[in-house]
Amino acid sequence: MLANMKKLLFILLAVFTIQSCDILEPDPLTALDANAALVDGTSANAILLGAYSRMQNINYYGLEYVLNNDLIADNARYQGFFDSQLEIDQRAVPFTNLWITQAWPNIYRVINITNLLITGVPDLEDGTFSQAARNRVLGEAHAIRALAYFDLLRIYGEFFNESSSFGMPLLIEPIENNDFNRIPNLSRSTVAQVYAQVMSDVDAAVDLLPGFNDRGRMNFWAALSLRARIQLYRGNYTEAFQDANRVISEGPFQLLDNVRDIYATLTPTAESIFDVEFNDQDQSSFNTYIVRRDEYNVDPSLLEAFEDGDARADLFTFSRNSFRSDKYPDNNNGNNTKVFRLAEIYFIRAEAAVFTNNDPNAGLADLNTVRTRAGLEPLSGFASTDAFVDALLQERRVELNYEGHRFFDLVRYNRIGTVLGMPDFRKVWPIPRDELLVSQGVLVQNPGYETL
Amino acid sequence: MMKRLLVTCVILMISISVAMSQTTNVRGVVTSSEDNLPLPGVNVLVKGTTSGTVTDLDGNFSIQVAQGQTLVFSFVGYDTQEILVGNQTNLNVLLMIDARTMNEVVVVGYGTQSRRDLTGSVGSVRGEDINRMPVASVDNALQGRAAGVFVQSPSGTPGAGITMQIRGNTSLSASSQPLYVIDGIPMISEDLSGLFSGGQATNSLADINPADIESIEILKDASAAAIYGSRGANGVVLITTKRGKSGDAKIDINGFYGFQRITNEIDMHSSSEFLSLMNDAIRQDLRAGVQLPYDNITDVWGFSPDDPDLQNTRWFREIFRDAPIQSYDVAISGGNEKTQYYTSLAYFNQDGVQIGTGFERVSARLNVDTQAKKWLKVGTSMNLSRTVQDRTINDNSLYGVVINTLAGDPLMPVREADGSYADPFDYFGWWMLDNPVLIAENYHRFTRTVRGLANTYAEATLAPGLTLRSTLGIDYTYLEDESYTPIISRESVNGNFNGFGTFGSTQDFTWIAENYLNYTKSFGADNRHNISALLGTSYQASSRTFSSISAQNFPSDQFTKLSVAGRVTSASTSGTDWGLASYFFRGNYNYADKFLATFTVRADGSSRFGDNFRFGIFPSGSVAYRLSEEEFLRNTAVSDLKFRASYGVVGNQDGIGNFASRGLFGVSAYRLAPTLTPAQLSNANLTWESTEQWNMGIDFGVLNDRITFTGDYFVKTTTDLLLNRPIPGISGFSSVIDNIGKVENRGLELGIRGAILASGPFTWSSAFNISWIRNKVLELVIDEQVLSDSHILAVGHPIGTFFLIDQEGVDPETGNMRWVDLNGDGVINSGDRRIVGNSQPDFFGGWDNNFRYKGFDLNVLFNFIVGNQIFNHSRATYENLGWSRLGLGFPLPDGNNHRLADNRWMEPGDVTDIPRASLTNVNWREYSSRWLEDGSFLRLRMINLGYNFTPQRVERIGVRSLRVFVQAQNLLTWTRYTGLDPEVSQNARDPRLAGSDFGTFPQTRSVSLGFNIGL
Repeated sequence: MLANMKKLLFILLAVFTIQSCDILEPDPLTALDANAALVDGTSANAILLGAYSRMQNINYYGLEYVLNNDLIADNARYQGFFDSQLEIDQRAVPFTNLWITQAWPNIYRVINITNLLITGVPDLEDGTFSQAARNRVLGEAHAIRALAYFDLLRIYGEFFNESSSFGMPLLIEPIENNDFNRIPNLSRSTVAQVYAQVMSDVDAAVDLLPGFNDRGRMNFWAALSLRARIQLYRGNYTEAFQDANRVISEGPFQLLDNVRDIYATLTPTAESIFDVEFNDQDQSSFNTYIVRRDEYNVDPSLLEAFEDGDARADLFTFSRNSFRSDKYPDNNNGNNTKVFRLAEIYFIRAEAAVFTNNDPNAGLADLNTVRTRAGLEPLSGFASTDAFVDALLQERRVELNYEGHRFFDLVRYNRIGTVLGMPDFRKVWPIPRDELLVSQGVLVQNPGYETL
Repeated sequence: MMKRLLVTCVILMISISVAMSQTTNVRGVVTSSEDNLPLPGVNVLVKGTTSGTVTDLDGNFSIQVAQGQTLVFSFVGYDTQEILVGNQTNLNVLLMIDARTMNEVVVVGYGTQSRRDLTGSVGSVRGEDINRMPVASVDNALQGRAAGVFVQSPSGTPGAGITMQIRGNTSLSASSQPLYVIDGIPMISEDLSGLFSGGQATNSLADINPADIESIEILKDASAAAIYGSRGANGVVLITTKRGKSGDAKIDINGFYGFQRITNEIDMHSSSEFLSLMNDAIRQDLRAGVQLPYDNITDVWGFSPDDPDLQNTRWFREIFRDAPIQSYDVAISGGNEKTQYYTSLAYFNQDGVQIGTGFERVSARLNVDTQAKKWLKVGTSMNLSRTVQDRTINDNSLYGVVINTLAGDPLMPVREADGSYADPFDYFGWWMLDNPVLIAENYHRFTRTVRGLANTYAEATLAPGLTLRSTLGIDYTYLEDESYTPIISRESVNGNFNGFGTFGSTQDFTWIAENYLNYTKSFGADNRHNISALLGTSYQASSRTFSSISAQNFPSDQFTKLSVAGRVTSASTSGTDWGLASYFFRGNYNYADKFLATFTVRADGSSRFGDNFRFGIFPSGSVAYRLSEEEFLRNTAVSDLKFRASYGVVGNQDGIGNFASRGLFGVSAYRLAPTLTPAQLSNANLTWESTEQWNMGIDFGVLNDRITFTGDYFVKTTTDLLLNRPIPGISGFSSVIDNIGKVENRGLELGIRGAILASGPFTWSSAFNISWIRNKVLELVIDEQVLSDSHILAVGHPIGTFFLIDQEGVDPETGNMRWVDLNGDGVINSGDRRIVGNSQPDFFGGWDNNFRYKGFDLNVLFNFIVGNQIFNHSRATYENLGWSRLGLGFPLPDGNNHRLADNRWMEPGDVTDIPRASLTNVNWREYSSRWLEDGSFLRLRMINLGYNFTPQRVERIGVRSLRVFVQAQNLLTWTRYTGLDPEVSQNARDPRLAGSDFGTFPQTRSVSLGFNIGL
């Protein structure tokens, strides 16, 4: 018996002394250690695609960056459950608003991805990763970073005033070691500094991307279009004209004959310069929120804005007592977000031509190109630039509604008071409460919102 | 010599006197009050004499006794009973269990202890109290049973999860639930279902048959819980299942069948009243100067309040029903001196009071213990169960059943004349998105779980007083989720899905290996010094895999399996692992039962933390001094007086991701190509959450412990709270898991228990407990974190603090809400929210009573919660007072109103807290204090009346014992809360967001009949 007992004891002691290392170091099965993510050309390309994947986020080009712009303006109205959207529709966005709170980190996440690539790709030790391939990755990363900073500036910063100090915090390096303890507590750069960074990025992209035409990515033409849009917003009309002109005259794009064809498709069209692409495995939220949940309804004033015979007036459906936009018809949310399409570039060229030449009719042909495509008669001319601006805003509204332009256009032309009845300080959205809180006073709220 | 002579004389004299009086032969049976079974071996003595006898195996006795003499019946563990003999010859005696409950043995981590020797704070609940409750799971039966233990049923969904807080909200992370340990094996107790159905979690504790439970112990203070170290911060619930006893096989068959109904139905307006309210809204708006193109609702809607033939649908009655609940189990136990067994088979079936819900369980258990060798005891506990939970979507979800019912338009029928479901868009409620009866009847959400819990132990006696125990346990769960959204639903029609189905599975395999040495020794004069020590290791690891598939395009709603779907839309598999390695020690010292001390330490290493902070060490110590053992208190009415004090530190690592400390890149897709995206930032300094706890306690017993009192005061401070911490968004993330702050719970718990009427035909024993717990956030890295539309986390305030738009009542002149425009911007929105209250109760407790009269027994349990607030979010819909979201062109309110809206402001001078009706939203804000209510309640949780047939009567039909009973659960509730039921929480498992009621499946009341048969 004693012998048996000893044997048993031996076994039990063996169990006692099992090394615990194995069970204490499991590896994640669906994720990679962050510090080992960027190691070669393949991973650099995967991370670059990751930037597009993050642009698909619901707060960004997956829905809200686009539609909240129409919502706060006069294109959409909200019926639904979310206070966040209700506040935007009320045109009284508080600094606790959920969308502005979430959009901030989500757009910055795209920027952080590009920071990692721009800093890391040049020094990657991978013999098979050619300079040309590296330039492509770097070019796209610069273009995406320029777009993301410009998009941030358009909501949180005084993008319309280059002498303003209310720009964005500029983070252009990756977070060291991916450790949250190393996040710098940055204050806001001036608007001029942000534009300088954005211009340097977009210029770099234009230099690095020639020959790259993929319409589902920030290609050479998308970089040019972005630069045209930025220069237009800044009032640098000559430069805006040059880039827009180059896209129209040299680019492989053409307006579709039938406006419905722009939207009733799951792939980029001949008119697309850059689409953020979706498919049924990787869905946007447009159809969900416009149709299935029925929340971003059409503002009646948008319907009234269409002239008789406008083919674009048919891009709405009516059911259940209200109108909804038919620009995202795929019920699997596979329609793309049109970030840049040719019609907008025509508008940019028209607007830039008018102000470069101080001739209200210098952009007439471009406006009419877009008008006649929709089945309308061409306009004959304008008596003043003011008359041109009225017509431009009208044409942009009927063409680009539900594509995220309306509020910015009204801000650029200082019309949020007259058209939307909003106080002037609301041209800019508030800095989120959470960001002010964690910055411990380093970030400054936009003027007018300090006590709200 | 003289002495002996004297004794002989005395005996002789007594014998003579006995012989001289008239003696008769009295016979009878002694039975136990515990189970009504005959008690063998009971001493029966004629008082004042030495003559006596002992009952035989069947409890029979026979004794010669004279009239006027008294018989004394005594047996270990039972109250001694004296009976004056008259002229009866037959005497049946029921012996009551000794009220000295303090003598009971309680299960503590890795062993048992006499309650008298406890130095920490441990609450106990007897199995029979749990077995009696008509509930699906154990935790459900603990409400009101133990001081300091706050149990809440957040939803009435059959088989739904329960929240239990032991001594307050210690941890803020998703897991503030205690650790559940069954027969020594820590259980996976989280919700493993991946199925979306609103806030109703599944409950893995429902895999255990409550009838198998012998006892439950709740380890409350640090001293008691420290043996579970890193997992003890939220307290530990030890569940012990029944085991066999040597003797003849006992067969117990139990069953009950009953019906359930919701505790309260909200009284809604009739169609006529609905239309009248809309007319009032129009009238009020016109008076306030609003321009309207109509002046009554009939012109717009075409229905008149005066029409006597209006459709009048009572929506709550359409989705709720009287639903059966039934349970049957059979258990066989017995054994010989070497081997004992307990085995059971049980079936439980509960239909939900809401159409489309239900819960079913089949379970089997086998517990065996055997003395394999003189020095070796081995045993096993095995439980296998299968549960099927049928849910619908509920809570705050677009297509929830209850939420779509809330403001249901009474003008809308359930079905149109042609038999099809009526479409809410054809009627006058904006709120209802789809017909709730359609959802309840046609959406399917099944969760099927197979769970195997098994452990085997071997206990070897190595030397006198020294044992080694080794256990291996497995907790295996395989769970399937299946859902189907029908073609006819609006959800499917809007999305053009043609039916939408999902299938998912979760497999969790957790193993645990534990080995520990136990040593006990007594020494010194009279063995005054008693020591015992425990030293052991524990390794536990878990591996979990998931899969999910979704598909759409179904040929018809008759088919719900994915194989018939036209298109698979997504499929994925995934998995994750964690592990825990632990070392523990406990030492006990007892000096002559007078002075007691315990020291415990446990070291835990967790895979969830970085290298630097992987191991945590959790020590605790406690002392007790029993004053009642001092000479001056001996032989007084004071039978027990013990002072206890303990201090210790316990930890928590639950509720955070398995890889929370690491920086990670995840995989997603762009244009069907895989991509890498940052998924989380690293936090190398992430470490345990630790809870430091002081406890001072007193145990007091008088009259031989017939009345006992236990009081505890504690201060519990949790530091290094594990929670999401807001970080600068320029990093691309809004938060990381970090150790972010400090929270405190202080409290007082009192429990009193007594045999109020202990002898005589009528007995009454009673137990009352009450707890006051104050919770407060002491420190936060980032203060005033807004957590949701309605909740905030802020220093100086408790967890679950409401942050809402505030109001100062109704203006008697205008009838409008006086909103507080906090930021003065002239607009009332989320920028105007402020702290307005919280969901923490002032005090809570329970009162349990057992009455017995002859063959009848009656159990009555009350529980109460006082001083908590509930954000009655649902009321925002059914007290809309006419607000029309789509503008004034066509009035379309959320729907109907509850009858309390009759108290609204109507004319200048009216003083009320309900504003005037209006088609505008002047008086309506969803997240406002207008919906904040007192959630206090007193509830008759349980009443159970049974009758025990006398053994003689049932023996004739071959039955050992027979009891029949009628029981009612939640029969009566006293509350001022106006919602369906005060016991609700929409965010069941997140204490930070507690206290919201929004479309939640309410609690139920049930009445059932049942039997207990012993063979």
